[in-house]
Amino acid sequence: MIKITDLEKYYATEEVRTIALNKLSFQVQEGEFVAVMGPSGCGKSTLLNILGLLDDPDGGSFIFNGIEVAGFNERKRADLRKHNIGFVFQSFNLIDELTVFENVELPLIYTGVKPAERKKRVDEVLEKMQIMHRRKHFPQQLSGGQQQRVAVARAVVNNPKLILADEPTGNLDSSNGNEVMDLLTELNEAGTTIIMVTHSEHDAKYSHRIIRMLDGQKVTENVLSEYKSKTLEV
Amino acid sequence: MLKNYFKIAFRNLWKNKGYSALNIFGLAIGITCASIILLWVEDEMSYDTVVTDQERVYSVPTNQVYEGQTRTFFQATPGPLAAALKAEIPEITRAARFRNADFLFSVNNSSVVSSGSYTDADFLDLYDLKFIEGNASEAFKSKDGIVITQELAQILFENPNNLYGQSVQINQKEHFKITGVIENLPKNTTYGFSWLVPFENFTQDKPWTQDYGSNFTDTFVMLAPGADFNTVNAKVKQVLPAKTDDADTQAILHAAKDWHLRSDFKNGEVVGGRIEYVRLFSFVALIILIIACINFMNLSTARSEKRANEVGVRKTLGSDKKQLILQFITEAMLTALLAAVLSVLVLLLIIPAFNGLIGKQLSLGLTVPSHLISLLGITLTCGILAGLYPAFYLSSFKPIAVLKGNRIQAKGAGFVRKGLVITQFSVSIVFIISTLLVYQQVQHVKNRDLGLNKENLIEIPVNGDLIKNRNAIAESLKNTGMVGSLGLSNSNIMSAGNNGSGLRWQGGTDTEDVLVSFRYVTDGYLETTGIKILEGRGFSTSVAQDSTHVLITESFAKLMGAGSALGKTIDWFGDTVTVVGVTNDYLYGDMYGTSDPVMFFNFPSEAQYMYLRTNPNYPADEILSTIEQTLKTYNPGYPFEYEFVDAAFDRRFKNEQLMGSLSQIFAALSILISCLGLFGLSAYTAQQRRKEIGVRKVLGSSVAGIVRLLSKDFIVLVLVSIVIAVPLAWYIMYSWLQGFAYRISINVWVFVVAGIAAIGIALLTVSFQAIKAAIANPVKSLRTE
Repeated sequence: MIKITDLEKYYATEEVRTIALNKLSFQVQEGEFVAVMGPSGCGKSTLLNILGLLDDPDGGSFIFNGIEVAGFNERKRADLRKHNIGFVFQSFNLIDELTVFENVELPLIYTGVKPAERKKRVDEVLEKMQIMHRRKHFPQQLSGGQQQRVAVARAVVNNPKLILADEPTGNLDSSNGNEVMDLLTELNEAGTTIIMVTHSEHDAKYSHRIIRMLDGQKVTENVLSEYKSKTLEV
Repeated sequence: MLKNYFKIAFRNLWKNKGYSALNIFGLAIGITCASIILLWVEDEMSYDTVVTDQERVYSVPTNQVYEGQTRTFFQATPGPLAAALKAEIPEITRAARFRNADFLFSVNNSSVVSSGSYTDADFLDLYDLKFIEGNASEAFKSKDGIVITQELAQILFENPNNLYGQSVQINQKEHFKITGVIENLPKNTTYGFSWLVPFENFTQDKPWTQDYGSNFTDTFVMLAPGADFNTVNAKVKQVLPAKTDDADTQAILHAAKDWHLRSDFKNGEVVGGRIEYVRLFSFVALIILIIACINFMNLSTARSEKRANEVGVRKTLGSDKKQLILQFITEAMLTALLAAVLSVLVLLLIIPAFNGLIGKQLSLGLTVPSHLISLLGITLTCGILAGLYPAFYLSSFKPIAVLKGNRIQAKGAGFVRKGLVITQFSVSIVFIISTLLVYQQVQHVKNRDLGLNKENLIEIPVNGDLIKNRNAIAESLKNTGMVGSLGLSNSNIMSAGNNGSGLRWQGGTDTEDVLVSFRYVTDGYLETTGIKILEGRGFSTSVAQDSTHVLITESFAKLMGAGSALGKTIDWFGDTVTVVGVTNDYLYGDMYGTSDPVMFFNFPSEAQYMYLRTNPNYPADEILSTIEQTLKTYNPGYPFEYEFVDAAFDRRFKNEQLMGSLSQIFAALSILISCLGLFGLSAYTAQQRRKEIGVRKVLGSSVAGIVRLLSKDFIVLVLVSIVIAVPLAWYIMYSWLQGFAYRISINVWVFVVAGIAAIGIALLTVSFQAIKAAIANPVKSLRTE
């Protein structure tokens, strides 16, 4: 599903040029759950942004679903993104002025789904996430765990092939964190590919494979034993 | 999608009530200003619609050269000109004389004075008159026919129907037969009237109206369809010189479309008029609208950090830039719409007061499609103008940057913001300076020494037996102690009035080229009006004794050479008259210019106005009722009409006072809007810098130091504004003042005062937020970071 080869990204200020990604290469198969780990500043968020088509690499190749997307303009990226990718952020990033229902509805609006269909799909996903009773509330009226459940609902409402999660439990206590990880696991088991950036070894254990990074490069790649057979089959 | 935009726009407005209020209030002021000015402009542009074919109908003023200068006179064509123009210039298909008068109508024991005109039958075809009774071709068949408006008909008759052929008595003498009732003229008609009678009624027993020697009437003409204005105008100019051997007096054409807005002439050509005010105020409306929109732009971009996260999320979820631009424009539109609603409420409240100020009857009239469209147009313009820049700015944020919480690189926006604040304050300072100078100029002229005493002076139009009974009236009123003296004149004391040239006099050279005004007065006139006799004597009570005596003004005496003018003679169109007295010069006609020399004759029979010097120790209403009773006794049948000369004098500065009042209002509003913006910006800056303020306070900075720190940047902007505004204001006001012969010189202190005022107001606005930020507990601000 995803194949990156010799991916490069630089950040330049007036004085310094920082290498965020240094000839990074790996592949992710459809249906995989991959955790990306590494110390702060190792380039994992940069990687996630490029994978999420929010940012453009400075070099290398990025093939998404068999299409070379490196060098796509903003419009093309936005189009690809809204149909294929869902995001879950550490700080939830819900829009404060919209209710739970409206937040979850937003991706459907941008993909042009009709109102009746939107309502049906949002209700379904809210039901699944067990926050239906909160549909008319605003984000600030919810607990952190509930907010992240809304964020996950928003990420999956469009049935994306890929979910990118950036430290999804970072702002949550352990029980809420576990709930969110269970949700992601369920989604993965239902067929959604998940790439998750995390600092938490605990969370990483939910994944099939852990890619560890340092200074913009991949240092190790472990396939977790219980999934080994499954992964190698692919 | 649009629903979603509106929803979030509403919630955003509601959530940030303070900013929303600033934005809505600022835009509402702008929209209100623009709307009210547009109403005024519409009114000004809607004059003389009674003339259907504005390109074909002209009035005929005359250009006359005196002492090398061409001056343009209205109601100053000789009687035979109209007929001559029609006969000699084939392109002229209609020509009519037109002279205003007041008639006293008496019907069934009630009397009403009404203004109208003597005119020729051709005039009935120049205006698009809607005859309810009678018709244009028959109305003037008989000399005693009269055409009246529906309004006058309703005043005169209880049943204003079937009036054709009815008789009305005029001035308690002649009878006229109604040969036409017409619909009322639109109120915006330059040459209006309530009645029309054939011109012969004026010229009968006035042989002087039959030759080219006296300019006493307006003339109107209509050109054939397709006739070329320049060709015809050139022909018109040649007519009077050919008839009179006087090449210095030429008739010219003045188009109906220019009557109201372009009636100022210089060197014989139209140079402008009220159109300049129309342009000026339209421009001002636009400027106010722009500075109101600037607030919205500045507050929106300044608050962009708050919106950045939302932009990031929306982009991540698949929104493209176009959709975001649309969303932010929608927000601006919504704000503008709310502002428009507020402004409609405000307009309903202030239009009556504005009408009082400008002396018009404007109404909001939202049911008039053009008004509604204009209001929507202004609102949309406002929304787009205000929303476009913030929309482009906000929608350009990079999602990763904002979602990661990186500070937005807002250097460009900050620069634009500063530029916009400078624009606002420059405009405000220009307004302050203009306001001060307009006020000074108006005061300067109003306090000018007129050479007469306009206070406690009452003017009464002469009619009926007033001339005959003047001495008895004077005697009776003087006995009450309320009136000191009484005098009559053929001319309104402040008007240019009757004049002529071609006189010769002792001690003068090239005298024939000097334009001299003639005043036919009574013995009490000078004493009453306060014009002083400098030399010699005034008129005696015996008219016969003074039949060859004149008084002249000082400027005339100077034209008679060195030494006293007393005893010198003047050849006045063949009669020799002797100077028996010299008075001071006094101001009449153009209040900004210098008046022509005057000759006074002791000649009551031509009197048009009576003047009364009243005793200020009595209350005005008591004086007026005493005068009314006295006049009822000596001049029964005529309603009592009067005017205070000082009030009439003030009215002469209507345009200037309007300009003064409006510039005061605009100055106040533009400052208010600018300060609203500055208030919002300073709040934002204080909030953004709260960490810095906290650190500084922890390190030992005083409150005053913080206030200085926060205010400094804004004051620099105001200083830059002053540098821009001063030369601009000087140029604008210098040009405006050039239009007045009697004017102030621009003083430096005006700029100093305006500058200090601007800085003071800005400081006051900014320091509120600065002090609030400076006295806040630093621990709090540091913890929240």
